[in-house]
Amino acid sequence: MTQLYLWPANLTDMVGSLLIIIFSFLSLRYAYLLTKNQPDNFLWGFLFYFCMTLAAFAISRAMGHLVKQVLLISGNREQWQALAPLAGGFNTLLMTSLAAVTIYYHKGIEGFKAIEKKAGSLKSTNRELQETAAQLHTMNMNLEEMVEDRTKELSASEKKFRNFFVNSKDMVYFCDASNQLVNMNASGLEMLGYSFEDPPSLNLLDMFLSEDDLDTYYEDILRMGFIEDREVDFVKADGSVIHILLAATAIFDEAGDFTGCEGIAKDLTRVKTMMAQLASSEKMASIGQMAAGVAHEINTPLGVILGYSQLLKDDFPEGTEEGESLQVIERQTKACRKIVADLLKFSRQAESRRENISLNEMLTDVLAVTEHSLNMDHINVYRNLSESLCSIVGDTEKLRQVFINFINNAHHAMEENEGGNLYVSTRNSDDKKFVIATIRDNGHGIPDEIKGSIFDPFFTTKPVGKGTGLGLSVSYGIVQEHEGTIEVESPIEEQEAGEKGPGTAFHVILPAVCEEGHSVTS
Amino acid sequence: MIHSNGLNKTHCLLLLTVLLILPDQAHALQSHSAPEGIYVHQLAHIFFISALCYLFWDIRRSSFPGKGWRFLQMFCVCMVLWNIVAFTGHSMEAVINASDIEVYSGYLSAKIAGPISPAKIVYYFTKFDHLFSVPALFFLYLCMRSLYRRSCEEEDR
Repeated sequence: MTQLYLWPANLTDMVGSLLIIIFSFLSLRYAYLLTKNQPDNFLWGFLFYFCMTLAAFAISRAMGHLVKQVLLISGNREQWQALAPLAGGFNTLLMTSLAAVTIYYHKGIEGFKAIEKKAGSLKSTNRELQETAAQLHTMNMNLEEMVEDRTKELSASEKKFRNFFVNSKDMVYFCDASNQLVNMNASGLEMLGYSFEDPPSLNLLDMFLSEDDLDTYYEDILRMGFIEDREVDFVKADGSVIHILLAATAIFDEAGDFTGCEGIAKDLTRVKTMMAQLASSEKMASIGQMAAGVAHEINTPLGVILGYSQLLKDDFPEGTEEGESLQVIERQTKACRKIVADLLKFSRQAESRRENISLNEMLTDVLAVTEHSLNMDHINVYRNLSESLCSIVGDTEKLRQVFINFINNAHHAMEENEGGNLYVSTRNSDDKKFVIATIRDNGHGIPDEIKGSIFDPFFTTKPVGKGTGLGLSVSYGIVQEHEGTIEVESPIEEQEAGEKGPGTAFHVILPAVCEEGHSVTS
Repeated sequence: MIHSNGLNKTHCLLLLTVLLILPDQAHALQSHSAPEGIYVHQLAHIFFISALCYLFWDIRRSSFPGKGWRFLQMFCVCMVLWNIVAFTGHSMEAVINASDIEVYSGYLSAKIAGPISPAKIVYYFTKFDHLFSVPALFFLYLCMRSLYRRSCEEEDR
């Protein structure tokens, strides 16, 4: 190789100069966009100044080279030689500046890193805060859902217990430490005869009949924390007494101090009555058996006494002392036989004849016999016989005896008042399974203390010689034989006024034979 | 101490007065001869190389993430190479004589006359310094574009 042409180098110089200008300005554009996008970023600021200085350097150098090539190609070497030192000077100056800018980067980057570190720390803190906020938000949402669910559960639970409290047929009450009632359900107030709309301010002291019972209740509650199956008597608003089965629990606060009690009470009055009736039934049954035995044993000697006394009467004519005595013996023996016959009726030893009976017809017959006697004593008879009364099956004679007994008792009760009203009524039960006949008077009534004994044999309030005390016992036995029941009401609740008045009502309840379309005339 | 300070001031004023009144040879301005320009230019190249090397090292040390910073490192490498080539080229100009460049019919016919020595070959190839500077600027362009796009993506997030 003897020579090297310089035109490839010159061509490269020109093309390279142009490309340098282009790339430097493209770089400067992006650096500008970067700083515009993130003006606070030091690095972009540095790169912008770097690119700007580089662009200035590129223009200085590349333009210098281009001008050089143009001037030299056009043969203006002298002009280039005059311009060359200036272009070279600029090149040197800008290259030095570029280096200086790069070195300056050192201090700037330290500051930037410190800021970045701080910003990173802040970002980290901010991120943690955001995460915490998100967690709190989630927890808050969960909490809201939990509270909502819990509220629903509480509401359902409250509704359930409220329904139990309101709808319970037993008395439910809450009282404070001084036994003052705080709350009582409607059944409780109804049981005690108070109005639910205007409930009174009650204390257990007002409710318990016996103060001793209340003291025992209070002591046991404090000692054991509860009582159960305690039978006590409560006083109703009208002063009457109901028998109660009571269970109660003490309420203590967090400190363990007694703050009150809650209790449930069940009205056992009806059960107690039924139990008494049952006991009475058993007693009556045993008495009946005993009476039957005694009657059977006495009947024979009475027959012998009566027979011999009648034989002796033939030997002692009337008017003699012996004849009079024998008449007394005969009369008293017959009275004894009647008692024995009644006892046998009571104990169901007598034979019974069953047939379909119209109770209205029977009562009409009974009243036809007794009404005259009643009217004589200024007793008015009022009939209220149901036209659609069902018939019954039974022994007409025995049942007639029952109603005669009740009417006689009413007669005696009103006799002392020198007059009164007798009400005789019949009706079907609501389910038409029973026929109910009521004999009601407005006499002196039956005192509470003897109510339990009126059906006992030989129990009577009449003077000696006026009654045997077997009338109601026999009636009881006959009704029992007919699978019926007798209810006694004294004093009587007036239908119109809703208040209780003097008098007694016997309700005879007998099984009905009621066919569809069947009607009974009175 | 006050006496001593007053003495120093007096001496300084006296020396300044002597220098102003009796100037033997004034050195207020230094004259710059012809080689000074090329020396300064070459020193500027060295300064620029140093700055680029520092920038390259610091970018690696800082471990900035992303392609943009890798393009900037490549820019630094290319620019350092360009500076070396340019520095060598300027040095060769001092070695090559004006007679070694022959021009017969205009500038475009200029050539390096033989015999071709290694110095002439080096001089010739240093004329192609744009083979380093153009890629360097291209990498700078890629660097700035990449950084800008990344910055836009971060803004979008």
